[in-house]
Amino acid sequence: MASVVLSDAEKLYIIHGVQEDLRVDGRGCEDYRCAEVETDVVSNTSGSARVKLGHTDILVGVKAEMGTPKLEKPDEGYLEFFVDCSANATPEFEGRGGEELGTEIASTLYRIFSSEGSVDLKSLCINPGEHCWVLYVDVLLLECGGNLFDAISITVKAALFNTRIPKVRVLEDEEGSKEIELSDDPYDCIRLNVEDVPCIVTLNKIGYRHVVDATLQEEACSLASLLIAITSKGALTCMKKIGKGSLDPESIFEMMETGKKVGKSLHASLQKVLDEEESLGTTRQKVGFLG
Amino acid sequence: MRRGRATPSPRRPGGRAASRRAPRGTLGGGRAGAMLTSRTFLKRTRAGAVVKVVREHYLRDDIPCGADACPLCPVRPGQPLGLEARPSGAASSLCPGPHYLLPDTNLLLHQIDILEDPVIKNVIVLQTVLQEVRSRSAPVYKRIRDVIGNPEKHFYSFTNEHHRETYIQQEQGESSNDRNDRAIRVAVKWYSEHLKKIQNEENEDIQVIFLTNDRNNKEKALEEGITAYTCEEYIKSLIDNPDLVDRLACVSDEGKEIESGKIIFPEHIPLSKLQQGIKSGIYLQGTYRASRENYLEATVWVHGDAEENKEIIIQGLKHLNRAVHEDIVAVELLAKDEWVAPSSVVLQDDGQNEDDIEMEEEKENILKASVNKNMLRPTGKVVGIIKRNWRPFCGMLSKSQIKEARRHLFIPADRSIPRIRIETRQADKLEGQRIIVAIDGWPRNSRYPNGHFVKNLGSAGDKETETEVLLLEHDVPHQPFSQNVLSFLPKMPWSITEKDMKYREDLRHLYVCSVDPPGCTDIDDALHCREIENGNLEVGVHIADVSHFIRPGNALDEESARRGTTVYLCEKRIDMVPELLSSNLCSLRSNVDRLAFSCIWEMNQKAEILKTRFTKSIINSKASLTYAEAQMRIDSAAMNDDITVSLRGLNKLAKILKKKRIDNGALTLSSPEVRFHMDSETHDPIDLQTKELRETNSMVEEFMLLANVSVAQKIYDEFPEFALLRKHPAPPPSNYDILVKAAKSKNLEIKTDSAKALAESLDKAESPDFPYLNTLLRILTTRCMMQAVYFCSGMDSDFHHYGLASPIYTHFTSPIRRYADIIVHRLLAVAIGADSTYPELTDKHKLADLCKNLNYRHKMAQYAQRASVAFHTQLFFKTKGVVNEDAYILFVRRNAVVVLIPKYGLEGTVFFEEKDKPTPKLDYNSEVPSLTVEDTTLCVFDKVTVSVTLDASNIQHQKIRMELVEPKILASGVPAHLSTETSSNNEPEKKKKKLQQ
Repeated sequence: MASVVLSDAEKLYIIHGVQEDLRVDGRGCEDYRCAEVETDVVSNTSGSARVKLGHTDILVGVKAEMGTPKLEKPDEGYLEFFVDCSANATPEFEGRGGEELGTEIASTLYRIFSSEGSVDLKSLCINPGEHCWVLYVDVLLLECGGNLFDAISITVKAALFNTRIPKVRVLEDEEGSKEIELSDDPYDCIRLNVEDVPCIVTLNKIGYRHVVDATLQEEACSLASLLIAITSKGALTCMKKIGKGSLDPESIFEMMETGKKVGKSLHASLQKVLDEEESLGTTRQKVGFLG
Repeated sequence: MRRGRATPSPRRPGGRAASRRAPRGTLGGGRAGAMLTSRTFLKRTRAGAVVKVVREHYLRDDIPCGADACPLCPVRPGQPLGLEARPSGAASSLCPGPHYLLPDTNLLLHQIDILEDPVIKNVIVLQTVLQEVRSRSAPVYKRIRDVIGNPEKHFYSFTNEHHRETYIQQEQGESSNDRNDRAIRVAVKWYSEHLKKIQNEENEDIQVIFLTNDRNNKEKALEEGITAYTCEEYIKSLIDNPDLVDRLACVSDEGKEIESGKIIFPEHIPLSKLQQGIKSGIYLQGTYRASRENYLEATVWVHGDAEENKEIIIQGLKHLNRAVHEDIVAVELLAKDEWVAPSSVVLQDDGQNEDDIEMEEEKENILKASVNKNMLRPTGKVVGIIKRNWRPFCGMLSKSQIKEARRHLFIPADRSIPRIRIETRQADKLEGQRIIVAIDGWPRNSRYPNGHFVKNLGSAGDKETETEVLLLEHDVPHQPFSQNVLSFLPKMPWSITEKDMKYREDLRHLYVCSVDPPGCTDIDDALHCREIENGNLEVGVHIADVSHFIRPGNALDEESARRGTTVYLCEKRIDMVPELLSSNLCSLRSNVDRLAFSCIWEMNQKAEILKTRFTKSIINSKASLTYAEAQMRIDSAAMNDDITVSLRGLNKLAKILKKKRIDNGALTLSSPEVRFHMDSETHDPIDLQTKELRETNSMVEEFMLLANVSVAQKIYDEFPEFALLRKHPAPPPSNYDILVKAAKSKNLEIKTDSAKALAESLDKAESPDFPYLNTLLRILTTRCMMQAVYFCSGMDSDFHHYGLASPIYTHFTSPIRRYADIIVHRLLAVAIGADSTYPELTDKHKLADLCKNLNYRHKMAQYAQRASVAFHTQLFFKTKGVVNEDAYILFVRRNAVVVLIPKYGLEGTVFFEEKDKPTPKLDYNSEVPSLTVEDTTLCVFDKVTVSVTLDASNIQHQKIRMELVEPKILASGVPAHLSTETSSNNEPEKKKKKLQQ
């Protein structure tokens, strides 16, 4: 993972600041940085979103393709995640450098989406046992400025919100041979319900306290962090410890509580922004990558 | 621009505020006036996946409205604008002021005949409309493009999809059709507002009239304040041109079918259901071929490789279900007990009105009667039409008996096309004229399809009219070359420049000459022969370098590729390339420098090729000779100039080459060719004679064959996958049955196991007391052959040319009149590094498609030529009255014999069976084959005398009628020349002799 090297004095400065609930950029321990969200940025995807969280810059595209359902779940579609670490983010990612991190993030995403009900997979089924929609969620790291997991989960949620899957009808004739027909109205499409899609909140243990949305510098000061997936209703669906340090049970509970609280308000404000953007409809001027 | 904020706790202000920057539009694109948007649509791929396609789409504000001298629109230099400033279209009572017309898609598709009329001018064709037309009908699209390209017509195509003010996006719940309709209305509105602004400055009132036949669309347009009329309303309002109404296509609004009269036909099943049915095998898809003899019968050739049910018989009006010849239809098979046999009855449709459905049923019963059990064939009924293949049809009007009636029946010249009902007010004028009619539709309650009058070709029997008819009926493109095509011709005066000399050898010093038939202006080959130092001979074949002038991919090239071949009619030549090239720049005339593609061999005195080379060259022909002139030079001992010496050398070599070829098994075939001697004033044929062949003919031919073979080998070596070659498949042995049987009846044996055996046995088949027999046998052999075809070497494995006994062959020597040769020239030029290649040249699928077209055009050209000869033969006999001529029997049929008159090379059928007359007793023996009429036995090759007359009883189908005069057949006793039909009669004379044989 991208990281910075800090001197002991710098680290001490940060740690002492956190102790006082005052972070280098002026935030409190439970404050997120300002995030920029834009959806529908890549026109040839079914849904896409780009999120900038501080210096962290993530682009997610969702492509819906027709596939065959998995044998064990014949009446459900499924999601596939792929994370690409662009060498633009940090030179370490050059060549196959980003592969390990990419796989780690992808497996985390598989884990948090594996819980029942995060996405209604049944609605992705076209024709049980034969055809279903497969959503390929492609994550591209454009810039790493700390707190990658949170930023990615926000972007994925925004992109899924933006996803429009074309409506298809299955025509069946007397012989039972099936024909899939595509609706010719491009507005005729399925939207996903993203209410229960969780977001990740990473809590970094710094000194005796913990912070959310750590910058790269803060991450360098943290020995252990806890990654929790929270739904908009505050349910915790997944938890994972990262880093080589240890956490005592008491602070884990404390961190979970903070995570839930922050997660809920994160969901709320994300949903608000998405709805606002949606209400502008086609009149919205897109910013894209040149803005 | 919109950015969201997602901050969970707004307690403290975040690090950075989102910065607003200029919107993208001004950043992208080089033009200040261009704005980017994107068009997104979903489509299904063939593999079944759904893909989202996004296309960039730029909107601009500098697209001119097209009105000449419009002060508001930016002027585009060098581009003449379409619409006149003061529109001078036909005066309309509905809209007396000056106006532009703006048709919608359906109107353009159906009423293109009207729009092509010179009266209709100043029409705005929207891009939306053009695109829709393009996807729905390629022929109409081509026609409208041609009209737009014609500066006389003042048509303007307005790029409304890229205009900032007229571009619209599809809205929610709107189908793409509705969107296009709306886009058209938006454009009309924009025009009327735009034109108002001009009016203010010029005090002139130009209106835009929206023409649509769609009622909903018209209502919506009127609501929006647009002047809209249906096509009918507008055309009827034209004061000076009432005759245009005839050319309106009568398309009834779908859905509003108020049924008048009873329904005759079952409904057609919609396409989507048909496709499902074809997939599952309930229906069969095939090409519908109406029977020429029997209007109640047709066959459907099922597509695909299935062995059984390849050919399905359709019988009866209801089962034919409104299919027209050449349509692609879906057929459902009937149960086996309903199967029928192809009837041998000739039925002509001569009903005049609709009420005779009962009569039809009676007729259908006639068909079903007298059926032999084992003749039953798969029978089916047409359930739906997959693709109509309607084209404009030539024919004549059959005027309604009711006076002042406006609905008349039209009888197409092609008997496989049903009669067509048209509406016209000029029936009196059109009677006896050859006219063109297009089919518009065939409602369920109508006995005949509905159509409209398109064009009057002229009076029937007239030479120009008939030529036009036969060109149209054989699909020969014969319009004058368009401006666009002509623009690719070299500018005159033309001369050879330094640049042309690159990669070219200067062969102007050689004594090259050309040998052609008299009056030939498109000389595409020239020859030379000279002795070189080592005692060997250098022989050169120089072919006009047409590919130098026709560059790949331009309009000239495309047009030539479409035409495929020059068509030679009796008194007219339909050029493949414009005359400037065919008769001037490419024609290797004497004493001018011309570009050529040369094939030069070094041969020894035994005509063995020692070296072959190809080069682009410049030649200067020293003489253009006719065959007769060349022959004279060779024969007269007094002449010893360079050209004559060269010709003698060529002639000597040609004889050796020919002998070698024949020893190899090449066939010498014969087909009677006729030449007309034309009256120089009236261009009427005054005499007929068969072509005479001289030694020099075969001399030129021999070297052309040699060049073709050499080039074929070279391009195949260089491009094993993309060489354009010509093959002549060996005929299946059964084809020879008739020849073997015929020879046997004369006690001759014809071996057919190989081309060589065939050639040898033909040479031996001589009869001392019957010198013409050998020619007859060769004519028969020709009839057994397969058609030679072009093909792409990468798509086929059998290259053999049966007739020439050559393992490989192509066409290289006539690029002026055959497009195949142009491609071969290009391939050869690339092979020797004299020219560059292009992608289509090395695409074997494109080449295969091209071959398909060339083969089709060649076949049609041949048919057109035969039809032209037939027509001129008719003209010839028209003036002659009744002529008695010697003839030989070529074929014996069940109820007729086919005879050949050697004097005219004319072939005709003598029938012994006809309507309204007692049929003589006929006895057909398929073994010999022979036909015994009453007591006279007729065998193949019998010499007979026939009387030849012109039968003009059917003005549309005039034909040569032949009747047997000698031997006379005893039957009804009507004198031969008085009988209007072909039966023959009276006394057996030679009969006894024949029976003895």
